[in-house]
Amino acid sequence: MLPQIADVVIIGGGVIGTSIVYYLANRGLDVVLLEKEGIGSKTSSAGEGVIFLQLKKPGIHLKIAMESLKQYRKLRDELDYDIEFTNHGTMLIIQNDEEFEAMRNHTKDLRENGLPLKLLDRKEAREIEPELSESIYGATFSPLDAQVNPMNFSFAMANSARKMGANILPYTEVLGIKVKKEKINEVVTNKGNISTNIVVNAAGIFAPNIGKMVNVNIPITPRRGQLLVTEVIPKILNRPVTAARYLAIKYNPDIAQIAAGKAAAIEPTENGNLLIGSTREFVGFNYYTTFEGIKDIAENAIAMVPKLKNISIIRTFAGLRPYTVDGLPILGKVDDLKGFIMAAGHEGDGIALAPITGELIAELIATGKTKIDLSKFNLERFK
Amino acid sequence: MKDDIIICRCEEVRLGEIKKAILEGVITVEDVKRRTRAGMGLCQGKSCGRIIARLISQYTGQSIKSILPATFRPPVRAIKLGHLGGEENCCPK
Repeated sequence: MLPQIADVVIIGGGVIGTSIVYYLANRGLDVVLLEKEGIGSKTSSAGEGVIFLQLKKPGIHLKIAMESLKQYRKLRDELDYDIEFTNHGTMLIIQNDEEFEAMRNHTKDLRENGLPLKLLDRKEAREIEPELSESIYGATFSPLDAQVNPMNFSFAMANSARKMGANILPYTEVLGIKVKKEKINEVVTNKGNISTNIVVNAAGIFAPNIGKMVNVNIPITPRRGQLLVTEVIPKILNRPVTAARYLAIKYNPDIAQIAAGKAAAIEPTENGNLLIGSTREFVGFNYYTTFEGIKDIAENAIAMVPKLKNISIIRTFAGLRPYTVDGLPILGKVDDLKGFIMAAGHEGDGIALAPITGELIAELIATGKTKIDLSKFNLERFK
Repeated sequence: MKDDIIICRCEEVRLGEIKKAILEGVITVEDVKRRTRAGMGLCQGKSCGRIIARLISQYTGQSIKSILPATFRPPVRAIKLGHLGGEENCCPK
């Protein structure tokens, strides 16, 4: 049943929205989460679950990711659900001399920022991952990096919030938001209206649509990532391995256009399947996979781990990530509209940053300030 | 039917787990899959998909016609990565 009134209404039931509802319910607020489809059914169930620290930019980006990891460890112990949190580190695989030099600088940068990243030569890399190709040049190894199951995480956060009294409403679509005297006043859904003074826009790739309802322009674009799922196999990798080139593709869309999909990311999962991604393409709201995309991923994955060629895939799929032009999410209050709070645009970092996003947004709503300065993440930076 | 009967053979998901998910408010075949892994295995829900649709209909009262099947995605059958990756003679027959 739809409540008539709430302290806070969160729009979006992915890893971000469910994390926010958990931390708000934990603070005792009367909170409602609206999700137009099932919990964790869009972007959150269409990607890998790697908490990648070594793919973050040195500075505030890395800092919040490290804080997020701390929260994950707490959640693993606190939640009544198994979120499949494991910590085996990750490796970025270097495939030529130029990459080796670039990764040497990247390692130095991140180490100076507090991440204990190691640069390994071919022999050292293959000692810890023996199935890596003999033709690689080396790898970086980040021992703190971890993994989680994003679907389980969404369900765990939503169910735990519900136990603390939050109203979790899947299959409930927001149709409009009413504003009175430049303040949020009411949320209109397909099941009725809710009076509230605070709305959190955690709608990911759909966040711009929510923004339009209140005349706020939100520069988030869907970016497609195609993935493959292999059959369940005995363990051949101990941790996620990703092409180092991925780092360049992530932050430079021009490279992504040339080398679309040529940087594979291989994640061994708890269940024994491997998830292999991923392209980064701008194709609007198109969820299809393409033969070309899948073929490129397969080629690059085999180049890193030759044994993969004899392993079968059982499914391909694609997810859309909420891309922003500077690679950072949009978090916090919005000028000119009181009570409208942003928490979207994490692109592929949603899973890494979900706990810290939930914690900071809840702190902001409950106390009016945050332990980490959110000004670098505000919407106004795009003006 | 007993709760311990297996509905998804590939992932060994039992009736009880599926029933629990539906009773907790999950009302589509896709969402049952995300919750329980039913349909995520080697056959990709080719057998259990219909049974799950029927169970949702039975427990929620929705008509079976209104329950959409899960999305089917390529490949139709499992295929070796080596064939996709362009190596002609990759995999011995």
